[in-house]
Amino acid sequence: MSDSPSQNPFIATDRGASLRRVAMAWSLRLMTGFIVLVTLAILLHIGWKGAPVLFKTQAPFVNTAFLSKLPSTLHVISDRDGRVIETDNRGAEVLKKQLGPNLREEKTISYSGGGILGPIVGTALLVLVSVSVALLLGVASAIYLSEYARPGKTVELIRLAILNLAGVPSVVFGLFGLGAFVLTAPVLTNSPLERSLLIIPLGFAKLSFQGWDTCVLSGGFTLAFVILPVIITASEQCLAAVPQGFRETSMALGATRWQAIRSAVLPFAMPGILTSSILGIARAAGETAPIMFTAALAFKDKLPWQRDLPALAADASWWAHWEQSVQRLLGLFTESVQALPYHIYTLAARIPNNEYAQRAQYGSVLVFLLLVASLSLCSMLLRRRLRRKYKW
Amino acid sequence: MPDSRSTDPDADFISVRDFSYAYGSTQVLHGINLSIHRRRITALIGPSGCGKSTLLRAINRINDLVEGAAPVSGSIHIDGVNIYDPAVDVIALRRNVGMVFQKYNPFPRSIYENTVYGLRLAGITDRAQLDEAAEQSLRLAALWDEVKDRLDEMATSLSGGQQQRLCIARAVALRPRVLLMDEPCAALDPIATARIEDLIAQLRDRFSFVIVTHNMEQAKRLSDRTAFLYRGKLIEEGDTLDIFGNPAQPLTEQYVTGRLV
Repeated sequence: MSDSPSQNPFIATDRGASLRRVAMAWSLRLMTGFIVLVTLAILLHIGWKGAPVLFKTQAPFVNTAFLSKLPSTLHVISDRDGRVIETDNRGAEVLKKQLGPNLREEKTISYSGGGILGPIVGTALLVLVSVSVALLLGVASAIYLSEYARPGKTVELIRLAILNLAGVPSVVFGLFGLGAFVLTAPVLTNSPLERSLLIIPLGFAKLSFQGWDTCVLSGGFTLAFVILPVIITASEQCLAAVPQGFRETSMALGATRWQAIRSAVLPFAMPGILTSSILGIARAAGETAPIMFTAALAFKDKLPWQRDLPALAADASWWAHWEQSVQRLLGLFTESVQALPYHIYTLAARIPNNEYAQRAQYGSVLVFLLLVASLSLCSMLLRRRLRRKYKW
Repeated sequence: MPDSRSTDPDADFISVRDFSYAYGSTQVLHGINLSIHRRRITALIGPSGCGKSTLLRAINRINDLVEGAAPVSGSIHIDGVNIYDPAVDVIALRRNVGMVFQKYNPFPRSIYENTVYGLRLAGITDRAQLDEAAEQSLRLAALWDEVKDRLDEMATSLSGGQQQRLCIARAVALRPRVLLMDEPCAALDPIATARIEDLIAQLRDRFSFVIVTHNMEQAKRLSDRTAFLYRGKLIEEGDTLDIFGNPAQPLTEQYVTGRLV
């Protein structure tokens, strides 16, 4: 810069500097753009491949069979006239008889026929159980940590442990669930299994630590521990966001600590806790590893409440009918299920890849994505509505 | 105005004796001696950080909630009962000693629910009784006419001054004997402030008020008695007229004339 008055003192002297600035800005912009591009590519790819499976061109525009049927083996039969017919097990038998020597080729593709009702129901049940358990445990411990516990080393240690829980690989949770819930958790029974670890007689029955077996309950509890860190952290933040004045006012009006929490803190923290737990739902719905050993099957031709029970005699009492209905209903928790992420894994990696398997796979992925996206949308709408209602 | 220590029980209604208070290892009140009269308005004045809020919050033991806060020595008696006695039920104490905070903070619930909040805590569920108490409390807080047609609306939809009067209604609903106010008008505009002051003046013969205020004009206008605190010590207490007109201590005079740094 020169002191001579004729020269503009602010004139840029170093062209390189401004070039470097522009280059920096553009490289950051491009990297961000790359991420957006990849995200879009994934979504478009899934939408493109999945939409023909899930949607139809005529009313009702949605492929209801895909959403309302259980998965089954797909038979693709081609005859000598060049016709290709897709059908299920029973249809294949009839068709083969009909065609006789006219049959040219039959391909069977496992799991790729029918629909994905089984996995949808299974995922819904797993999410229901895991979110209920995680909310109960998570909110309770968040209340303890932020309202009751004296701040200090112990609390910090607990927080650290919870944060570490979030970093545990999900397959480890799967193994933990297998050990803890499938093989060890206590059940009430009259006839404990031989491998039971501990049997405590309780007069009316025996408490046997023999595990819950592979079932919705085991999987739900395992998933609950996967999403617990999210729920505890979010709940603590929501509790901390409630003004201290509410607690003081409430207690100045003669509330006990618990009364103050129940009536002047929790109601106003609950919207936030619920919205963040919806994000927990998305996480729970998406995990594969924790449910592989604890709840999910690659294939099951029954819904959880369609349990095989001995047929009742025609003159069976209403009590026997009632008992069977209850047992079927309990199947919601005590049966193993199919789940969407595991189903997708099976379709993509466990059976020979071909166009038919891919079709089922992309259809499932699209449904899965739409479910998760609609959950996130719900959470956003809920949060916006409640924010408007609870402002202070 | 009576000014004797022991002859008149009303004059020694709340009796603070050699009261010292600390947050952890930081002592903030040093040997306070103060008599608060029944059905009078007592103002606590002093510069920021002098301990007047701590003293106020010690009277209903709401400061117990603060980690590490506890009295070091001395006592506070209300109507002859030592409130720091282990046998005292803090809940019952707080029902009898209401409090209004600086920042108006009604719960984000309906006006009605805010008013009867303390009664609900006390286990009253009879709707007629609650309705009756709500109306009376809102009338006492001079808010009834403004809200009687919209009791089910959110309390947070009221104006700031109305919200603070709602907080007063919420406190008086329990019929406390003492009302503690921590700078009740600090967050309000002058018109709302005037209404709150009018309200306090109307209620002076029903409750014993202790008001912490930064506003010396307000202390002068409202209070019967004034106590001046400085750096955790009580410098002077007495009739408001004396404190402002004819203070005994030079420090008090400097403060009330605005010359104390």
